[in-house]
Amino acid sequence: MRSRRFSDTSNFLDIDRGDEIIVDGKTYRVTGHEREGRFGMEEPKFWVKRVLDVETGEKKIIKLAFFETFELTLGGVKIKCFRDPDKEGRILDLVKEHPHFMHGKSSLDEKGNNVRVLDIVKGGDFYRFMQSFDMDHEEYFRDVLPEVLKKLVRLFDAIRFLHAHSLRHGDIRNDHVIIEKETGNYVWIDFDYDFDGKESPFSLDIFGLGNLLLNAVGKGFHDMHMISGSPEVYGDLASRLKPGDFSILNKWRLMNIQKLYPYVPRMLNDILMHFSQSSEIYYESVSEVTEDLNRCLWNIW
Amino acid sequence: MSQSILVPINDSVSSRVMIDFIVELPVEKESFRITLLHVFRSPQAGEELMGKRFMTQQPSVLKAVLEKARDKLVEKGFDPGLIEIKLVEDPYPTVAEGIIDQFNKGGYNMIVIGRKAMSKAEEFVRGDVCVKLVRMLRGTAVLVVTTP
Repeated sequence: MRSRRFSDTSNFLDIDRGDEIIVDGKTYRVTGHEREGRFGMEEPKFWVKRVLDVETGEKKIIKLAFFETFELTLGGVKIKCFRDPDKEGRILDLVKEHPHFMHGKSSLDEKGNNVRVLDIVKGGDFYRFMQSFDMDHEEYFRDVLPEVLKKLVRLFDAIRFLHAHSLRHGDIRNDHVIIEKETGNYVWIDFDYDFDGKESPFSLDIFGLGNLLLNAVGKGFHDMHMISGSPEVYGDLASRLKPGDFSILNKWRLMNIQKLYPYVPRMLNDILMHFSQSSEIYYESVSEVTEDLNRCLWNIW
Repeated sequence: MSQSILVPINDSVSSRVMIDFIVELPVEKESFRITLLHVFRSPQAGEELMGKRFMTQQPSVLKAVLEKARDKLVEKGFDPGLIEIKLVEDPYPTVAEGIIDQFNKGGYNMIVIGRKAMSKAEEFVRGDVCVKLVRMLRGTAVLVVTTP
């Protein structure tokens, strides 16, 4: 059967394995759909195609225009979120030479839909990386964390670069950071989401960075369910916790890691506590976070 | 010597509460020069979804709000010749940036602003104009009138 050729990608659900997408004078053969794996579920993302560049044989990812909007509730606050393919295109243009972002090219198909042809970032994500250490926390804290934090500072600085150009990542998550196999670089992927920021346009990006840092310092997340359900791991921690020890936007996620691991220095723990319910002052820019992190690296290790 | 006060307002309960607070202040009302200000923020996607008509109506809606606030001040004894209305239609990235820019251009002695009660989570996600003014302005007084 001859493959179908699509130079109009409006109906992305109709474009399937074996079909060809024509964009910017190049032909890409669809080999499958990307999937999102979270919480043990694998959901196909039909607007994200795995493709082969017919001319070079190179594997790529093509993201087609999908205008999804939804309302997210975090800490009781409703936030309007939406996909913005043009924003992702603007970021791709901006970060062409930047080592901490995925690379690719944004073009319009014949109907004006934004089509992004992306290079594949080879490697595992930061969430899985944090779960991969077969050692106790104290050893991890002493031997592994300093290098992780140094890389996180550079990764966070890449977000500062976006913000300086009035752009947001929009979906900062632990699985949207890939640890590049060849270079060991931490690389941001998937920045087509956006949100209404009002007076604090970068707040959710900064909150996402706080979660990355929490995952790194805690060697994974620790929530109330885990803490109260596993006294053999957490001891009497549950009885020592107060609401102020938890995340400002996720009331069951422990931010006060020092209560779990007392050797975590206060200087480092204080950065995490800026994202807790007990904080009276919040980070408003990425540079405030990286300045504090650099101070920790300098003073602690 | 008259004091020059910048009073940023919008169409909200907290702005009305703040105007009510100003008119009840035990001060020599004829000696105050007041600028009632409204600045626009660049529209967010959510606001754009409310439609073009809503967006185009905003300047006239806010002009009426400013005029109503001026009338209230005059009614309570402030000198109409010392009250200015300023509607800045060129949008700023954030309201706080707009107020700070206007403050720096105007040579004011003080800012009076209303603040609605909000949760910590709300303050974190949406930001707080008043906190930004207090953090970023130097060499001036910022009077924040909180809504009960």
